[in-house]
Amino acid sequence: MGSNRPIYAGLTSPFPRPERLVAATRDLDRGRTTPELAEKAFVEAESELLALEERLFSNVTAGYLRWNDLFRPIAESWVGFTVGPLTRWLETNTFFRQPILSAPPRRTAGAIASRLPPPLATRTSTARVLLPGPYTFTQVLENRSGASEFEVLLSLGRLLGDEIRDLGGLGYRVFQFSDPILVTDPPEGPAETAVLQAYQSIADAQPAATTVVWTFGAGAGPALPLLDRLPVSVVGIDLTDTEPEALRPGPERLGLGLGIIDPRTTLPETLGDTVGVVREALRRRPSASVWLGPGAPLDLLPARPAEQKLLRLSDVRHTLLREGVA
Amino acid sequence: MSARLFPSQEIGSLQKPSLEALREWEDRVHFLSRLSPIPEEVLRHPDLGTLQNLRAAFSIAYLESAGLDRVYDGEARRVEMYEYAVRQMTGFQFQGHVRSWDSKYYRKGTVVNRVDLIAPYHLEEFDFVRAHARAAVKLPITGPYTLADWSYDEYYLARQPGWKGRPQRRAAQREFVVDLARRVLRPTLQKLIEHGCRVIQIDEPAAGTHPDEAPLVVEGFNEATQGLDAEFSMHICYSRYQDLLPALLEAKACRQWAWEFANRDAEGHDGYEVLKLLREYSDTRSIGLGVLDVHRDTLETPEQVAERIRRAAKYLGDPSKIWVNPDCGLRTRSLNVAYAKLEAMVAGAALARSEFEGLET
Repeated sequence: MGSNRPIYAGLTSPFPRPERLVAATRDLDRGRTTPELAEKAFVEAESELLALEERLFSNVTAGYLRWNDLFRPIAESWVGFTVGPLTRWLETNTFFRQPILSAPPRRTAGAIASRLPPPLATRTSTARVLLPGPYTFTQVLENRSGASEFEVLLSLGRLLGDEIRDLGGLGYRVFQFSDPILVTDPPEGPAETAVLQAYQSIADAQPAATTVVWTFGAGAGPALPLLDRLPVSVVGIDLTDTEPEALRPGPERLGLGLGIIDPRTTLPETLGDTVGVVREALRRRPSASVWLGPGAPLDLLPARPAEQKLLRLSDVRHTLLREGVA
Repeated sequence: MSARLFPSQEIGSLQKPSLEALREWEDRVHFLSRLSPIPEEVLRHPDLGTLQNLRAAFSIAYLESAGLDRVYDGEARRVEMYEYAVRQMTGFQFQGHVRSWDSKYYRKGTVVNRVDLIAPYHLEEFDFVRAHARAAVKLPITGPYTLADWSYDEYYLARQPGWKGRPQRRAAQREFVVDLARRVLRPTLQKLIEHGCRVIQIDEPAAGTHPDEAPLVVEGFNEATQGLDAEFSMHICYSRYQDLLPALLEAKACRQWAWEFANRDAEGHDGYEVLKLLREYSDTRSIGLGVLDVHRDTLETPEQVAERIRRAAKYLGDPSKIWVNPDCGLRTRSLNVAYAKLEAMVAGAALARSEFEGLET
């Protein structure tokens, strides 16, 4: 009765900062605590989350609690970028600093590795590395470099490929590219070709890696023809925004990522409804492997309900493993 | 419309000063003289009510001293625009903090029962401001769409059957917004108007979050203001306004759009060009023009403000429609920086005014 296909589950975004860390970072901001005490709060929060992830999931993230937004590690460290104005992050009440590209982009070797959550350095084989997808990155940045949008996209594809090659050298194996704009504003025509080329650069750089494209923010149905052609290991879609009826069979080589936890509400997902919607999705789009996770970023929730939702995510996975997906 | 070109107004919250800061600022803005005499001992160790009065009086004097034509109290009595409002209602539970950006957070509530009003709110603070302000008064109040969008929903969503996909979320959100507008905002606005409040800014910063829900923003605004007579405006920030038009234009009682522009106005990017759309739609409402970026310490110059006003006037085709204000509340800036920005705004408006009046003569 159980499922033979691999079913993975785990975080697909930064985790919310726990209340103690909220207090510590606020105090640091207001000059009421020292950087040393704030660092201690980060270390404790990372350690607690990591313990939970290791108990529930096969991949771990340590929460990316230090990242201010998905783009900041690159915007702050790669040559050609500066950090720009506050900008709304998709359809949420959270904001990121818009990266401004003023010259041809260049990597700073080791900069991203040094910004990954410190506990991941000793867990590289199970770590999930989060990076911005090249299309979303190109769409959100302010391009003052003089290069065309397509040239920037291709450059970012090459640079992200170089990045995961270097990270692969450190032992990291699983790389998730968060690329929501692939579904909120799907590329068409030459832009679609450029997206495929950018992802090909990533695939060529580290063929042995597991690469996951994670989308959210809109129904994935219209973008599926493109998503199916991406040279990646797994395509993730958000079932809280995508009607299962929009799914259709995809290439056998592709794993299917399903966002089944909705961080826009604290209402816990019911186990039966959630297992049911996964089964319905897999009936319409059979896949050799399944990757379950929150759809949109889980840090749209406070830490406590987010933790409850991680437990529910694990329950769904175990129910599917035990009772099968059919 | 105002008789004088480019009048200035506040738009939201200010940093809440410490006692030490209040003492320092007294020499500059002389707010204590607006209050009944307070014994020195009480000033050294004020209770919460006294501290709030001190902060409110300070904020009024601070804004007037900077030269603003329309003021309020810097929202000195409100924890912040969401939590304060939600605490005036039944049906909510607070869950914890959510990050807005970097190390800036807000507490987010979950609606667990049908919302209802405990009692109309902002009355006491409005009475205080009216009694202590010399300039005109404008009251900001958080709108129903934003209150719903910034809340988690366990009540209205749970009433939807089965898997909670997008259609179910939409239906639940509409019920939630309309309940907030009818059961909370409308009775509160009605009571404020009875107290003499004439200029009311309904804050809907969440309006740009889901552009396809702009009709719901409007439905909430119209439900909240139905049958009420006041000078209503709608404040929206950090949004692509073109995505909200023309739906927003159906906000019947809205007489002014108070929007953010300066944050997006940079070399090579004209943050004010979107105003052309209002002209294309023949919209006759005035505009509260954001001319100060509230998220950066960099000070705008009067010349920069004046240039922004000129550009906006060109796009709107009518300078008399323009009020000037910061993009949004200045609470994330120090009082010194915020004051310098406000002074630059007022000076920039005066500069632009002299240019336009020179053209008229």
